[in-house]
Amino acid sequence: MILVTAVIKPHALDPVREALSFVGIAGMTVSEVRGFGRQRGHTEVYRGAEYKVDFVPKVKIEVLVGAEIVDQVVEAISNAARTGKIGDGKIWVTNLENVVRIRTGETGPGAI
Amino acid sequence: MHEVLLQAVAAPASYSDPPWLNTGDNAWQLTAATFVALMSVPGLAVLFAGLVQKKWVVNTMLMTFAGFAAILIVWVLWAYNMGFGYALFHSGVSWDYSKHNVMANFFANFVGKPATTLSAASEQARASIPQVDAGMPPFGLPQASVVYFQFVFAAITPLLFLGSVLGRIKFKVWVVFVPLWTTFAYAVNAFLLWGGGFWAHQGAGDFSGGYVIHLAAGTSGFVAAAMIGPRLKRDRDRAIPHSLPLVAIGAGIVWLGWNGFNGGDPYFASADAAAAVINTNMATAAALLTWVIWDMYLGPARKPTFLGAVNGMVVGLVAITPSAGYINGSGALLIGAIDSTIVWFAWTYLSRTRFMKKVDDAMGIVYTHGIAGLFGGLLLGVFADPSVVEYSSVGGSKISLSSLLYGHHPGQIGLQLGAALTVIIWDAFVTFAILKVISLFTPLRMSDEELETGDLAVHDEEAYPESEGATRILSGYGEASHLPPASAVPVGGGA
Repeated sequence: MILVTAVIKPHALDPVREALSFVGIAGMTVSEVRGFGRQRGHTEVYRGAEYKVDFVPKVKIEVLVGAEIVDQVVEAISNAARTGKIGDGKIWVTNLENVVRIRTGETGPGAI
Repeated sequence: MHEVLLQAVAAPASYSDPPWLNTGDNAWQLTAATFVALMSVPGLAVLFAGLVQKKWVVNTMLMTFAGFAAILIVWVLWAYNMGFGYALFHSGVSWDYSKHNVMANFFANFVGKPATTLSAASEQARASIPQVDAGMPPFGLPQASVVYFQFVFAAITPLLFLGSVLGRIKFKVWVVFVPLWTTFAYAVNAFLLWGGGFWAHQGAGDFSGGYVIHLAAGTSGFVAAAMIGPRLKRDRDRAIPHSLPLVAIGAGIVWLGWNGFNGGDPYFASADAAAAVINTNMATAAALLTWVIWDMYLGPARKPTFLGAVNGMVVGLVAITPSAGYINGSGALLIGAIDSTIVWFAWTYLSRTRFMKKVDDAMGIVYTHGIAGLFGGLLLGVFADPSVVEYSSVGGSKISLSSLLYGHHPGQIGLQLGAALTVIIWDAFVTFAILKVISLFTPLRMSDEELETGDLAVHDEEAYPESEGATRILSGYGEASHLPPASAVPVGGGA
C-alpha cells in the first residue's frame, strides 16, 4: 500500500487525470495548494507597491495504489505533467501502514 | 419677519439659468446618463468578472474600465458629432426631400461630420441635434447633457461585445480596436437611426438602441470572436462562472440601470419617459420568467437556473429597448415573452449547429444581444401603438409609431428589417476590417503561455491574491538583496 503524492502545475491536472485513468487508477484526491521550489515566486503590483510572492498556485494530487503498480503510476504522472520547464513539480512516494474503506470497514490492500 | 424670509428665498434667484433650460429635464437627463454609465462600470465589469474563470477576473475588469475611458476620449474629440452632428458632405441640414434617389440619400445621410465638443458652447449652449431638431420639441437641456447621455450608450456597446472575446483578446488590441469601432461602426449606426440619418428619415424606429447598440454588439462580437479564434480548449470546456454572487450584483445594476437607458431617451422628463421605464420592467419580468419556465420544462436539466434567469432578464431588456416608448403595456409583456422564447430556442438549438460551435462567443452575446435585439426591433413593427405618444406636439402633430396591430402599418416591419440589415452588414464589415488591419501589426490573441496563466501573466495581479508569502520589494533595495538566488533554494524545499 503506497501513497503517491504529486504537486504539479494547475493546467497539468487534466492530462494527469487522463493518464492515471489509462493505467487503471479509479480514484484520487485533488487540492489547490500554493508553494515554490526552484521556480521561485513571482511579482505582483498593488497600489503602486511591488510584492514578491514566494508561493505560486499548484495542484496537489494524492493517489493510493498497490505496490505492484507504483512505478507505472509515477511514470504516468511525470510524463503527463512534464513541460521541461522549471516549475513542473514533484512526486513523492510514501509507504502506508494501513488503509480503511469507511463504508465497508475493509482494511489493508482490499480497501484501496 | 416676512421680509427676511423673502430675501432668503429671493437670493438664489440672482443666479439665473438661461430661459430655455428646464431643470426637471436636465436633472433627469444627467441622472439617467449616470444610471447607464453604472451599467458599464461596475455593472458589466462585475457581471462578466463573475462569469469568467478566476484567472481572468482582473483582465475582464480592466478591459471594461479602460474601454469605457477610451471611448469617452474619442467621443468628445470627434465621434459624437459623427453620430449626432451635421451630415458628412453637407454644409447644413442634409436631408433633401426633393431628391427621390434612395441610394443617393442613403449615402448622403450615412454618417455625420467629425468635430469636437470641447468648446464652452459645446458644453453649455442649448442642446441641438441639427438633423433631428425639426422633428422634436425644442431641447430644455444644455449640449453637455446630450453629449454625455449619448456617450454612455456609445461606451456600453463595445463593452457588451467584450463578452464575446474575453479570455484571449490582447489588452493592447482591445484598447486600439474600441476607439476605431466607435468611430467607424457606432457613429454610423447612431447617425443612421438617431442622428437624423437615412433610416431615421425613412421612419425606422429604435427607441434606445435595439439596433444601434444590441444588434451591433451581437454582430460585431460574433465576427470578432471568429477572427480572434477560440479560447484555450480547456478554458472553453471548463467555462464555469467563478462567482454567481458577482453575476447577481452586475445583473441587478444592469436591470435597474436600464431605467435610465430607456427612460432617458425621450430627452424630456415626460410621460413617455415614465411609460418607457415601466414597459422596460414589464418586458424584463416577462422574459425572465419565460426563460426560467423553458428551462424547467425543456432545459437540459429540467431545472430553474440562476444563469438562465439572468439570460432571460438580459433578453427582456434588449427586446424592449427598440420599442420601450412606442408601445403599450400589453405590447411590453408580449414582446418580453416572445423574444425570450425565440432566444431560448436559438441558445439551446441553434448553438448546436457546427457553424455556431466553431465561433467561440464566450458569453453568447450573439444570442442575448444580437438575436434578441434583431427580433425586438422587428416586434416594434408588430406592437407599436400610435396612441403611445413620444412627443405630444411637434408643429401641431403628435410623434408616435404605428404598426401591424395598431394603426394598420405593416410596412413598419419592413423599415425595421431594412435598418437591421444595414447595421448587420456594415458592423460586420467594419469589425472585420479593423481587426484585419490591427492583425498586420500585432497578433490579436495572447500567447498560449499567457492564456494558461491568465491575470498573473498579463497584469501581474490576481483577483484574489493571498498575502501568505508576499514580501514588499522596497525600491532601491532590489529583490536580489534580500532573497537568495534561485540556485540557493534548498532542493528539498517543495515543488
